[in-house]
Amino acid sequence: MSEQADRLGAGDERKWPTKSEFTPEMLKEMEKLLPGKLNRVVAASLSGCIHCGMCSDACHYSVSIPEDKTLVPAYKADRFRKWYKSKYDWLGQIFPSFVGAHKLDKELADDMYDKLWGACTMCRRCTFNCPMGVDYGMLVRAARGLMQQVGRVPQHLQDTVDTHHNSGNNMAVPRDEFIETMEWIEEELQDEEGCENFKIPVDKKGAQYFLTLNPREPKYYPLTIQASAKVLNAAGVDFTISSRYWDLTNYALFNGYDPDAKEFSMWQVEDVKRLGCEYLLAGECGHGYRSLRWELPNWVGGVPFKITSMMELLAKLVQQRRLKLDKSVWKGHRFTYHDSCNIARSGGIMEEPRIIINAATDDFVEMEHNRENSYCCGGGGGALAMPEFTPRRIAAGKIKADEIKATGADIVLQSCHNCTDQLKEIIEHYHIKAKVMNLAELLAPALVI
Amino acid sequence: MENNVSHALHILEEPVQYMALGFMALMYIIKISQMLKKPVPPEKAELKGDRVAGAFESLLNVLKPWSMESTRKNPFFYVEFMIFHIGVALTIGATFLIPLVPVVMTPVVSKVFMLFMGLAFLIGLRRIYRRLTVPEIRIISSPDDFFAITLMTVFFAVGFIAMSLWIQGSPDTGWMWVFFLMTTFFLLYVPFSKISHYVLYPFGRINFGRTFGGRGVMNKNVKNPSWNPK
Repeated sequence: MSEQADRLGAGDERKWPTKSEFTPEMLKEMEKLLPGKLNRVVAASLSGCIHCGMCSDACHYSVSIPEDKTLVPAYKADRFRKWYKSKYDWLGQIFPSFVGAHKLDKELADDMYDKLWGACTMCRRCTFNCPMGVDYGMLVRAARGLMQQVGRVPQHLQDTVDTHHNSGNNMAVPRDEFIETMEWIEEELQDEEGCENFKIPVDKKGAQYFLTLNPREPKYYPLTIQASAKVLNAAGVDFTISSRYWDLTNYALFNGYDPDAKEFSMWQVEDVKRLGCEYLLAGECGHGYRSLRWELPNWVGGVPFKITSMMELLAKLVQQRRLKLDKSVWKGHRFTYHDSCNIARSGGIMEEPRIIINAATDDFVEMEHNRENSYCCGGGGGALAMPEFTPRRIAAGKIKADEIKATGADIVLQSCHNCTDQLKEIIEHYHIKAKVMNLAELLAPALVI
Repeated sequence: MENNVSHALHILEEPVQYMALGFMALMYIIKISQMLKKPVPPEKAELKGDRVAGAFESLLNVLKPWSMESTRKNPFFYVEFMIFHIGVALTIGATFLIPLVPVVMTPVVSKVFMLFMGLAFLIGLRRIYRRLTVPEIRIISSPDDFFAITLMTVFFAVGFIAMSLWIQGSPDTGWMWVFFLMTTFFLLYVPFSKISHYVLYPFGRINFGRTFGGRGVMNKNVKNPSWNPK
């Protein structure tokens, strides 16, 4: 293999010039960039708020931290809206204070930074409760993109994007190390009873499914790959994992920088085409699923293959009776399921996880708010990659922790790695006796092989 | 009922009103065309639902309080909202019906209008109180928010009084003058105010319906989605 072919990522070593403060030059640059961000959804969302306050009970931040009224979605969005109104609202240009307009100055920009990076996970629960249809997720992403472009972006989040840009995956896992990890997991899998012939095919041309992974899996959670591979093998699914662009994450969804979002997507598209797969299969990852399934085709202008997810595929396998499951394995355990915002509300996958869960267990209890009404756990929107806002993130997880506790479940299921990490943290913080698992980990031990 | 008013009030009721209405329409045309010029985000993903059906469903959201948790949990707030907005439509409508087709405004019809005006006035007072006293609402309120709700509330009160005098056979009163002057002011002011949110409502709702309708979040019972994994 030539060194050139082995090289992943953009080819240039990039370190985005981040800034610790807004300067007048940065604000001027943002003013120039603003018109380019105003598509019809963002413009309607900036113009449409009537300050009715119906969103105040919809946000996990404002519900979990009720003493801080500045966490109400309309207030947070107004940090951006004030600036927009000072430039585009007819009355706002003449009598700014009358309509709450405000020119972009350092104070407003600092407030935007605090509220739109550190107090919003772009979960869109407020959007679903807004009578005017204000799309807070897209509005916040547009604001983040403007700040990011002038360098005012949480360092760790930008580092994650830079790493993806530089090395082809967001944890800089080298290609040879990744292949070795897959081989090792395959050996571990084959050591399991009845799995002697199971494979984790790497770079298999013409496989039906191109399985993608979250880099946390090869790096920290290899057992989840093992579980997924076990289930897919047991059902006879023809899949492969690429040794090149296997990372399904796209943190440019969070930092709002479209050229990177497009670049990461394009790599994946080219890789699926290289292997000639019929389906791009998103592993269990919330924003990764949404990025691949719903945003990637728009970023790259359409794709010549289908895109699906582990949740949908597993549900199909259950319905087609291609998986034999023994529910007694989980006897004595109670389960609940957390709907990741990007999978359910922004992704449309709501019943599939329940089909899977009900096939593997008899004791499943819904949280009070579920499916598209589920509260964000607090780990979305790149929040886990912004350590400067950690105390607020943990505090905002209280409503989810309360709902988990109320189910009496000792196992919280989910299909997203950011949710996994956040749920683990809030479970520990709020003293809940429960463990967190994904759906493949639920199915794998129950398989009758 | 005859519309026996002075020449001065007649001018206020008709030519002035029409000019103001024309101005409002022009402003709305500009506002809508500005929004229509903005690019629509593309949708190239294979859909799980119907974007058009989603948009229709979303537009009708206003008539379905059960569709959002925020209205589902606050039915009283929703009822207030409906009465208030019916009150707005009837009050403004009255200022056109009285001069143009006074025969329609029989005492019974007028009393129905007055009922909504009266209720809308009370709701307006409650909304002002809410905006002043609920901390999370006060913190997001601008002077325009207060001005708009106060103006509407006063408008309902004036309309109520003017109408009650009108059905008693006194069409040309000071109250009627104020009522029509306020309508004229409204027509000129509304395009610049948050009150014009109804022009933006279709944009927000259609955007929402197209996005989440296409993704199958709203159209859960689509019989033949274009996408179905093997």
